[in-house]
Amino acid sequence: MRFLICIKQVPDSTTRVKVAPDGTSIVSDGVTWSISPYDEYAIELALEHKDTAPDTVVSVVTVGGPRTKDALRQALAMGCDDATFVSGEGLGPLGIANALASAVAELKPDLVLCGKQASDDDQGFVGPALAEALGWPHLSQVTRISSSSPGLEYWKETEGGHEVWTAAGPVVLTVQKSAKDPRYPSLPGIMKAKKKEIPERPATGLDDPVKIEIVKLEPPPARGAGMIFKDGDTKAFAQQLATLLRDEAKVL
Amino acid sequence: MTPPTIGIGQAVLALLAAIGFGAGLWRLVHLFRLMRIGRADPERWGRFGRRILDELVIYLGQRKLLKRPYSIRGIAHAFIFWGFLVIVAATTELLVSGISGGRHLPGATSGVFAWMLDGLSLLVLVAIAIAWARRLLFAPPHMHVAGQGYAILALIAVLVVALFAMEAGGVAAGRVEAGAAVPPIGAAVGPLVPASLAFALFAVGFWTHLGSTIFFAAWLPRTKHLHIVTTLPNVFFRSPRPRGALRFVDKIEEQETFGAATLRDLTWKQQLDGLTCTECGRCSDNCPALATGKPLDPQKIVLDLRDLLLREGDALLRDPKATGTAPAHQLATKPDELWACTTCAACVEQCPVTIEHIDKIVDMRRYLTMQEAAAPPEAQRAMTNIERAGNPWGEAVGTRGDWAAGLGVPTFAEKPDAEYLYFVGCAASFDRRNQRVAKALAKILQAAGISFAILATEETCNGDPARRMGNEYLWQLQAQQNIDTFGRYKVRKIIASCPHCFNTIANEYPQLGGRYEVVHALQLVQDLISEKKIALGAGATETVAYHDPCYLGRHNGIYDDPRAVLDAIDGVTRMEIEPHHRERGFCCGAGGGRMWMEEKAGQRVNHRRVEQILAAGDARGGRPAKVASGCPFCLIMLDEGVGAKGIAEELKPVDVLELVAARISA
Repeated sequence: MRFLICIKQVPDSTTRVKVAPDGTSIVSDGVTWSISPYDEYAIELALEHKDTAPDTVVSVVTVGGPRTKDALRQALAMGCDDATFVSGEGLGPLGIANALASAVAELKPDLVLCGKQASDDDQGFVGPALAEALGWPHLSQVTRISSSSPGLEYWKETEGGHEVWTAAGPVVLTVQKSAKDPRYPSLPGIMKAKKKEIPERPATGLDDPVKIEIVKLEPPPARGAGMIFKDGDTKAFAQQLATLLRDEAKVL
Repeated sequence: MTPPTIGIGQAVLALLAAIGFGAGLWRLVHLFRLMRIGRADPERWGRFGRRILDELVIYLGQRKLLKRPYSIRGIAHAFIFWGFLVIVAATTELLVSGISGGRHLPGATSGVFAWMLDGLSLLVLVAIAIAWARRLLFAPPHMHVAGQGYAILALIAVLVVALFAMEAGGVAAGRVEAGAAVPPIGAAVGPLVPASLAFALFAVGFWTHLGSTIFFAAWLPRTKHLHIVTTLPNVFFRSPRPRGALRFVDKIEEQETFGAATLRDLTWKQQLDGLTCTECGRCSDNCPALATGKPLDPQKIVLDLRDLLLREGDALLRDPKATGTAPAHQLATKPDELWACTTCAACVEQCPVTIEHIDKIVDMRRYLTMQEAAAPPEAQRAMTNIERAGNPWGEAVGTRGDWAAGLGVPTFAEKPDAEYLYFVGCAASFDRRNQRVAKALAKILQAAGISFAILATEETCNGDPARRMGNEYLWQLQAQQNIDTFGRYKVRKIIASCPHCFNTIANEYPQLGGRYEVVHALQLVQDLISEKKIALGAGATETVAYHDPCYLGRHNGIYDDPRAVLDAIDGVTRMEIEPHHRERGFCCGAGGGRMWMEEKAGQRVNHRRVEQILAAGDARGGRPAKVASGCPFCLIMLDEGVGAKGIAEELKPVDVLELVAARISA
């Protein structure tokens, strides 16, 4: 059985993102790039399944510029079996979904996994769009895959619980954060990933019919200075605090 | 004395000696072959001057046996040992004269030797009494007290008493040759021996002494008393690395396997460690993990590996391809034991025979982390954070220098000719509590007019947590990145306020070619005070306990500078956390990467440490107002400890640097 995970390279959550002078992009200098966290959870779900069913092949694919190959190497180091790089820059989410769909057509996986959304733009668009492009069913918020006979069960997180789904044919899953953190690669895994061939294919002949244009990026407003009451009359503090919460913060 | 062996006696003695010593030697050769199952270990050769000095101090001088709190039993052991050396000479002499029928070794008939022998032998009897009493009445908690120990002590007592009997009988029977010294005990007791029994006593003493010695020779290599032999090489071949430096893995990218999974992955010296262990339990007595109910027991790690070697070694010898043994996490030393270690070196410090516990634990961690990717999840997260953010907490790289905003602290980019690099470290860069320590040091350095700069966002984690979690690869990447940055700015002198940064840059970066003059901030501050480059103003009178950080104290021997700094602060009375101070300092629980791992089993190490501080205060009639340290992790752990105990107001954890900075007028 072949699992294909679609991943996106994003600025790492520990990077402090700065808006570029053009006002519509970010400064990429000094940014640490990593796999989007939900995509990492998707990889972990697939690898966990492979741990119990060793005949599973876990493939990984990304669409982007040359730099995004590093994300594929990272996924290989974690234990993915092969990686495909689809070269295409400046595509919108629908264009990316289409590019991925053609990769799916070629790689013929039995199951496709995506993170539920990327941590940079948080659109949550590509997974469902890919399902649409493939004509496959889509299940969101998946936190667990378990084996049943026949086939697999997909655990979808719901408010305060979960639903268990099965599918007759191939399906696109978008993955939610689950209890098990993505694994840290072994050193032999890292070394093997360095040497692995990553086949490249262009994302050509694909329409990106709905262009999304970023009009403006701006950082969130700086947090104001706090205020500390100390060494004094508690009662007066409480009164002052209540006044501030009502008049300044307007939360009461 | 003329031996009681004439004719047939000589032959019988020669035969017995050949059998006994042959059996002992046979066993030793076998153990030697087992030891050689371990892989090569190039660092064990060379530096002979230091190795010989070690033998004089540690083996002959018994230095490590005399440590607190073992001094009395240590002295007892030393006398048994020194007595044994002289008795061995006497026994050899008796064997030679017994087999040859009366020839003596040079010097054997001298008065000096006779007095030495009898004097030390008497002390051996006293020491054996102490050793027996200790086992029976107040055995150390982690010593393996077994019948074997009693038996060996009894055997030594027998051979000493037999020696005395032989001397007394010999003197009475007139066996002392003309010109030979009369042994003092023989001279004293001899006249009391009835003439009719004199020869019998002499002969029985002679044969009992030699018989028990020959039996001892055959039996010894099959007991833990093998250490009498193995300590000699174990001390000789001990690691020449600074204690704080872990073993370097050269050309790591070309290796196929990592760390110690099987007996074959341990080095021969690590096998010798096991064969040298005396089961005295001093390592375990002092282990903070074991003391607080963790599954780790350092003595057990050493003995598990030894037992595995004795159990499976033969099979490995028969089949050179067999890996035979289970991987590290299948051993009796389970991963939880390995992960509980704080690498505080209390075990290494105390071991009388220089066993290297931390190296073994880290080698097995290396296997778990690098080969199997099986480090605990929290450790994996910390390593991911180091990789991506350059700090184990995963704080934003870009904020690394923010603590210094508005303080007039330049970066190296701004001040490339700065004399010192202040390597701030992750804790002081990102942890709010420790940022105050960095600010305190900056203030002190500025007051003293020291030319220094920081690297701010160009600094990255020194790699210490990763290396101690077993991730040698990540350590090398981090270290190389810093070394490259240091090189770019031609950094030569480094100040670290964190003992872990200090230790790894001073002791481990040279493994990658990074050699700098590294000082811990408290060493530098001590110099600044004694050279009167900073003046400390008056302040409140208070008692401050000093907590020794492991990587300052035990790993680097820096005990006195921080104390001298405290003593130089007007009004501060320094308190020692007795008896857990200096080389017996108790870890805060954060070393070895434990800072980032959960602590579920037993009591938290830092809580125990706070209890020790309070107890030491009570014992001297007054609790301290503050506990000062020189390590950001100790500070975090002590802060948590006093908070959990609800005494944050009564006992304030601080860094010594903060106390100093508070006395400098801005």
